[in-house]
Amino acid sequence: MLLKNTYNEFIKILAKPRSYLGIGALTLLVLLILFAMKADGKSFISFVTASFEQTLSFNGNILNGNLIAFIILQMLIVHIPLLVSLVTGDLISGEAAMGTIRMMATKPISRTQIVLSKFIAGAVYTFILTLWLGFLALIVGKWMFGTGDLIVLNSDGLVILKEQDILWRYGLSFGVAYLALLTISTLSICLSAFAENSIGPIVSTMSIIILFTIIGTLDVSVFDSIKPFLFTTHMASWRSFFEDPVPWTTIRNSVSILVIHNIVLVLIAVYKFNKKDITS
Amino acid sequence: MKAILSLLFFVHSFAVFSQEVDADVVIQQVVQKLNTVKDYSVEANIKTNIPLIKIMPVNASIYFKQKDKFKVVSKGIAILPKQGFTDVNTFLMNKGSYMAVSSGTKTIGEVKTNLITVIPTGETSEIILAKLWIDTKRDVILRSQVTTRSSGTVIVDYTYGAEVQFGLPNQLTFTIDVKKFKMPKSVAADLNKTDQQKKKTADKDQKGTIVIKLTNYKVNKGISDAVFKEK
Repeated sequence: MLLKNTYNEFIKILAKPRSYLGIGALTLLVLLILFAMKADGKSFISFVTASFEQTLSFNGNILNGNLIAFIILQMLIVHIPLLVSLVTGDLISGEAAMGTIRMMATKPISRTQIVLSKFIAGAVYTFILTLWLGFLALIVGKWMFGTGDLIVLNSDGLVILKEQDILWRYGLSFGVAYLALLTISTLSICLSAFAENSIGPIVSTMSIIILFTIIGTLDVSVFDSIKPFLFTTHMASWRSFFEDPVPWTTIRNSVSILVIHNIVLVLIAVYKFNKKDITS
Repeated sequence: MKAILSLLFFVHSFAVFSQEVDADVVIQQVVQKLNTVKDYSVEANIKTNIPLIKIMPVNASIYFKQKDKFKVVSKGIAILPKQGFTDVNTFLMNKGSYMAVSSGTKTIGEVKTNLITVIPTGETSEIILAKLWIDTKRDVILRSQVTTRSSGTVIVDYTYGAEVQFGLPNQLTFTIDVKKFKMPKSVAADLNKTDQQKKKTADKDQKGTIVIKLTNYKVNKGISDAVFKEK
């Protein structure tokens, strides 16, 4: 019953125009970045390597598909949460607003299973969005710019990774990026369980992301104790796979924090939905 | 007595003068040797050890053609010093653009070298000052210390092998100054690192080395100009 309901939920997502809005916006953004990089990518690269280029010269194909994919991921990981919450923030509150939630509750399925099926459908949509981002960034990027070593600028210097040492890093970093986006999806569905309209959870999700990000970037010691527990602190942990050596302990810690967030948010949503008054 | 003193002074002066080398002659002998090379290609293995940069050793092909055509072709990303590869040789070949002064002798390894200080005569020259430690027996540069306007000071140690007859080294060790390397913060945004952690990483060692091992020289075999065109 859970799987069948999940299938129905996914059909509902597919039936909504806003679901395609997210994928369309993502496609447009990536194509825009690809075009900009094709037109003026070299000046972007020289901005990154400027402080080194007075003394050193960089030879080889720097502006390649691997770097383009990294730039796209870095630029868009901030904006994709909006596209995710646009769809997932509506999953429960949209039903409440339309009044279809009562009809759903009449089906021979528990409220917990209804919420879980919405979470799974939201996770599948987020997965498709991440996969599409990966395809556009990595496959289309490599097709347009060729392949080569990856030059990554971290706060403690440049890391240049060999071409044959990159694909597995992308695989795992997309996995962690997906987990981060899944947290956004779970958060917005959880907030959706508290709301009666679609806009509230979407705006609340974005507000929380902005607030947590500001707290994370402020170098004020009063926030130091809470920063490690904010999910936004770990949203950029996909980047850690491009360090040398890979900081596995830090990544494991980030994954744990994100997984805990997901579990807690699902439990809150299940509890709230089970207690929700749907009769009025 | 006066005659004896005069004789002693003359003998001493002659002895000192005979030890002095003519810096211009030493340099011209080096240049003469370098001029025997019209073009060359060579396989290079580049090991970079620079604070703030992590890179594995890279293999590349280097092409050179008189007077100043130079190209590095590598499958991956290769980092080379901007100064010190061919620019010193090109600079020395233009005899009228500098004055050379002999600055004594120094032993590098087991080889006695003559230290020649080269000062450009032009006001707009990129090179401000060059010190060359020259092995006058083989007419090759063993060490150079070049200060340029844009790149600071670069020290290069040369090791020679079979191609010493052409004045071409089989290993170059560049020591470069990395004090002025700064990370653009807007690009290297790393949310997980605090400013204190960033400061620690920025205060690392300030000298970097690039070791280039050169093998499989092909000297004066002819290289097409097309090789040097940008792709």
